[in-house]
Parts: sequence; C-alpha cells; structure tokens
Amino acid sequence: MRLRHTLTLMTAIVLAAAAIAAVALSHPAAAAQGLPAPASQGGVDDDTCLACHDTPGMQITLPSGEILYLTVDRVTFKTSTHGRLGYACVQCHTDISGFPHPEQMATTRRDFTLQMYTSCARCHEEKYQATLDSVHQRALAAGNQQAAVCTDCHGAHDIGPPDQPRTRIPQTCQRCHSEIYARYKDSVHGAALIGEGNPDVPTCIDCHGVHNVQGPSGGPFRLYSPLICARCHGDSELMDKYAISTDVFDTYVADFHGTTVVLFEKTAPGQETNKPVCIDCHGVHDILPPDDPGSTVIKQNLVQTCRKCHPDATTNFPSAWLSHYRPSPEHSPLVYYVNLFYEILIPTLIGGMSIFVLSDAVRRLRNRRREEARHG
Amino acid sequence: MGEPRRILRFPASQRIEHAVTMVSFTILAITGLVQKYAMASLSEAIIALLGGIETVRAIHHIFAVVLMLEAIYHLGAVGYRLFVLHQPPSILLSLQDLRAGWQIFLNNLGLSRERPLQGRYTFEEKVEYWALVWGTVVMAVTGFMMWNPIATTRLLPGEFVPAAKAAHGGEAVLAVLAILVWHSYHVHLRQFNKSMFTGYLSEEEMLEEHPLELADLKAGVSPRPLDPAAVARRRRIFLPIYSLLAASMLVGVYFFTSYEHTAITTIPPAEDVVVYVPLTPTPLPTPLPTKPPPAGAPTTWEDGFADLFAEKCGSCHGTAKVGGLDLAEYEGALAGGKSGPAIVPGDPAASRLVIVQATGDHPGQLTGQELALVRAWIEAGAPER
Repeated sequence: MRLRHTLTLMTAIVLAAAAIAAVALSHPAAAAQGLPAPASQGGVDDDTCLACHDTPGMQITLPSGEILYLTVDRVTFKTSTHGRLGYACVQCHTDISGFPHPEQMATTRRDFTLQMYTSCARCHEEKYQATLDSVHQRALAAGNQQAAVCTDCHGAHDIGPPDQPRTRIPQTCQRCHSEIYARYKDSVHGAALIGEGNPDVPTCIDCHGVHNVQGPSGGPFRLYSPLICARCHGDSELMDKYAISTDVFDTYVADFHGTTVVLFEKTAPGQETNKPVCIDCHGVHDILPPDDPGSTVIKQNLVQTCRKCHPDATTNFPSAWLSHYRPSPEHSPLVYYVNLFYEILIPTLIGGMSIFVLSDAVRRLRNRRREEARHG
Repeated sequence: MGEPRRILRFPASQRIEHAVTMVSFTILAITGLVQKYAMASLSEAIIALLGGIETVRAIHHIFAVVLMLEAIYHLGAVGYRLFVLHQPPSILLSLQDLRAGWQIFLNNLGLSRERPLQGRYTFEEKVEYWALVWGTVVMAVTGFMMWNPIATTRLLPGEFVPAAKAAHGGEAVLAVLAILVWHSYHVHLRQFNKSMFTGYLSEEEMLEEHPLELADLKAGVSPRPLDPAAVARRRRIFLPIYSLLAASMLVGVYFFTSYEHTAITTIPPAEDVVVYVPLTPTPLPTPLPTKPPPAGAPTTWEDGFADLFAEKCGSCHGTAKVGGLDLAEYEGALAGGKSGPAIVPGDPAASRLVIVQATGDHPGQLTGQELALVRAWIEAGAPER
C-alpha cells in the first residue's frame, strides 16, 4: 500500500513538472526577444482565449468599483492590424499562459492600462523609446496618471493604421485635447483636412511630432517652431498650389523679430526669447487665412495682435512691419527708395574716394621714384 | 636753433576725443554690421563670441550713448574754441577746398603741374570730418526711431521705422567703407600720421601737409594774441549757455534711451486654451463589443445563421476546422466534416449539426431556442439568402 502511494505521489510530481515545463516552453519566444513575429505554433492560440473572452458581458469589478470589461469582440480583434497578421493574445498578455489566470492586481481601470501598455515595447522598442522623450511620458513620470500611453492613442484590441483616414490623427488627439481640436477644426489647416480631405495640411503630429510629442512650454519647441512652419511654407512646389508666398520665412528672418529668434535658435537653443515666432501673431491652433475677417493678422485686427507684446502700440505702429513683403515701389515704397538711395550712394561715394585715393597713390609713387632717380 | 622741431597739432583733449570716437565707432560698426548681416556665418561666430544677440544689442546701445555723449562734449569744445578763444573756423568746408580737391586730383592725373598748398585742415581731413558729422546725425536720428518705434509712429507713418533701419544700415556700410578707403589711406597708408596719438607733427611733416599753417606759425600770425580779460568775459557768457544746452542734450539722451518701453520683457502670452479636456465620457482603449440586435428570427444563412455559427461554433469550426468542419462559409456547412454533411437542406434529422447539438453537451452549445430556429431553417431548405 505504502509503495503504491509513493509511486502515485512520484507520478504526480513528474506530471506536474512536465506540465510546468510545457507551460514555460509554450511562451512565445519570438515576442520575448522583441522580434515582431506572429504567434508560432505551440503557444496558446487566440481561439483558445476567445472561446471564453468572446462571450458578451464578461467583466469583473475592480477594488475601485470600476468595471473591467473582459470581453474581446472576435471580429474587432481579427480585423485589427495584429489580428490580421496573426498575432496571438498572449504575445501582449504575456502573464497569461493558461487557466486559471494569475490574480488581477490592478485596483483601477487606469492602473490596469498602465500595467499593460509596456507590452508594446516588446516589439515596438524604438517607438516606445521615442515616447519616453514626450510630454506625455514626462507628465506620467511626474505622477499624472491621465497622461497618454500607447493604447490611449492606438487602442488595444482594435489597433489599426493610425492615419487612415488622415482625419483620424487629430481625432485621436481630440480624445484628450478636445478644446484644442475644436480650434484646429475651424482653422485654415483643420478645415482643409476635415472638410476637404486635403492631404497637404498639417495634422497635430506634423508640428508636434509623433511618438516624441513635444509641447509648447518648457522646452525648445517655441524657439524652433518657425522652422516647422517653414518646412511647408518654404516649399515652393507646395505653396504654389495655393498661391501662398514662400517669402514668409525669409522676410521674417530679415526683420528684427525673426533675426533674433533664428539667432537664438542657432546660438542658444535652450533659451527663450520674448521676440515673437509665427504662432505668436498668426495664432496657434486657430490659424486663419490672413485675409479672413477673423484673422489676427488682417489689417483691422493687427494692432490688437501687436499690443499683446507692445501694449502702447499706436495705430500707425503695425505698418512698421512690412507684412512679409519685400520692399518694392508697391509695398513699402519708402523703405524701397531708402535702400535704392544707398545702393546708388555707396558705390558712387566709395567709388569716387577710391579713384581719388588711387590717383593720389600713383602720383606719390611716381614722385618718389623721380626723387630717387634725381638723388640716386 | 631754439626753434621747436615738433609742432603741437592736437592737444590731449582732442586726442581723447579721437580715441573715444575711434573705440565707439569700431564697436558700433562690429556690433551693428553683425546685426545687419546676421545670417552670415562670420556674424554668427562674432555674435556667439560676444555672448549672444541680446548682449550684442546691449553693447551697441551702450556705445551709441558713449558716442552721443562725445558729440555733446564736442559741440561744447568747438563752441569754446570759436566763441571764447576766437579761433578761426578752419574746419569749415568752403568752395576753395573743393577747388583744391579737384586741383589735387588733376595733379594726380598729371593734368596739372600745380599742387595746392593747404592750411590747418586739408581738403581730405575736412571731407572726413563732415562725413563723420553727417553720419553721426543720420545714425542718431534713425537710431532714435528704431530705439523708440512707438514714439516714432505717434508722429510718423509706421513705415518710417523700417526705413530708418534701412538708412541706419546703409549709412553704416558707407561709414565703414569710407573709413577703410579714405581714412586708412590718408593717415595710415600714405604715411603714418601719428599726430592724433602723439599730438605732434614734425616740421617736415607740417611742410608737407600743412604748409600754409606752418607759414602762419612761423610768421607769428597765428595763434592770434588774446586779451585775457576779453577771454574771461566771453567764458562767463559761454559757460552758462553751454551748460544749459548740454544739460538739455543730456536730458535728450536720457529720453532717447529710456522714454519708451517698446515691448514686454516676458515671453508673449501663450494660446489661451485648456490643454487637457477629455471627451466625456473618455473612450476606453478598446471599444466595447456591440452585439447586433436580434432583428426578429433569422430565416436565411446570411441574415443570421452565419453570425450565430460564427459566434457559437467559430472557435473550433471556423478557421481551425476542427473535425474538418468549417462553419464560416455556407458551402462548408453543407459539405460538413469527417462525420458527414453538417446541414442537409430539408432534413434536420440527417444533419450532423442538429444530431450533435441535440445531445446538449457539445462545447459551444446552442440554446434550445437557437436549436429550434436552426431546425426550422433546415426544414425550410436551409436557404443561403
């Protein structure tokens, strides 16, 4: 009897060990190495998970009282990017290898998200590293749990191409930045994207970056922002389509404000300057065409815009700015003719002086030679 | 002997004036031109070396004030010499000087044998002096307009401010080139005239440069003897007037530099927007599955049974084709698996699906109601659509 008991016990231990080994081996090795490869054979396949998790209404109540939904819609997942490529649930849910699942430790739904999202880094290491430099991750590190992580923008089980259609980009940001979105959608850029599906206008990420999203404050963003605008507004091929001048950046740099900003950007990129950048005059998310009656830079509104920085500005003051025009007989004739005056005066006077000086030098050399000849 | 070998040309006060002007002109030229040509790589290097554009501007402003103070002093010194000491206004440019200049030029070209003799100040020196006076006035006026653009636009159209900038820059280039061509030739290249630093010229140099002045000195014609009492009287008149004038000019300089606070010193106010305004309610990372509403009882494969089988049987009898059965497609359902056709249209009793489900313990079990619907559908010939 005793022997039989012992044998039974040993058999049980061996079987248990084998089971553990099988579970351990069944972990998707490819994903663990950070290689984005679809689930290999041997892992727990999606259908195993979905056999239960496809059931509508699966949920648990977290200690916070929030409901954590456990149902995953089969069609939603199977039509997502990962589903279509055949990635397995357990490639992200690496803590799960069978049933029963390990105990759920999250106390709030946000807690759960924050525990899970680093799974993305297993395959998308480069993107994840880029996010570490973003305003979102810095806010998270500073203790703001609401700061966006991967799944907040990309979704979890329904991940799809984030820029298809292109309007999806600002709509993703809208989920947390709805007030900014409301301004953007009526701006010259937003209206063209959302209203007309125009692919030329910038979305949020064209200015702020994608994974290393940069914000306007506490960094070099403001200082280099004119270079962001110049990427499109200096592109003559692009601007010609809309009859927009590409002189805007050069004329900005030629003026006091732009000279200062660009010099700061070059010599002290970490410093701030109180000289305005494009967005200080044109608006930020609510930029309107300069001939729109609501534009901050249309003639009748310009003095108000100047007064943001020049509180005492007179009504004549705005015309001290040449409105991105190069001086010409039509635009800023006074400046044009002052320049012309010096363009004529300088060569004339300096040329005259040079001729006089040269003639004098030649005369003196000749005289000296004659003198030497006489004495020598 | 006994005659001085050296003749005093510039007393210390004038040499100091020259030194102050020279230093401030040079610094103004450097700190100004790097602003005019700010995008040139040399300018960028100089700006970086001087500690950034704001420092460059501060230096430029400081030496602009130095030059203005020098100009105020100079007015006093000139006034004193003319009015109190009754010295002749020998620096004035006359028609005779222009004629002398033309004569020199003709002589240089070999068109005239005659070379005019010049006095205290030569034609070349007078041109330079008046160019400096003219340049300083232009620079001060246009500089004021740039330093006080709002005050300027109270009286003048806004365009005067960029026009002032254009003139300031053009005048700067003109002045620097004039110094390089005219000044450096006449007092450095032609022969190094050190009198502005030592104060003295030798008699030979005087004979060469200022023969008429030397002749006057030798003849005792100049300097004219002065009556000390008359000098004292004129000084008593001059000093209070000049003091008043100088005081008002100093107030002017103070006004020039501090009248206007052109701009705020802080960064322009940012966009007035609340950054974090989540949509309410904040969407979950994954949208909750939405079940299609059971729109009455299904009667065909397409209007309901396909979805029913996908949901209940799809885990095994979908792409996995457990037992060879694929219920994802209508054809697959008719073909069935290893155990025979799953659905035999018109004959529920012969359909494996009904037989297996009827046992009640199949994984992915249909409810009794669902099974009844499936039976009715098969009896009706299991229409696809």
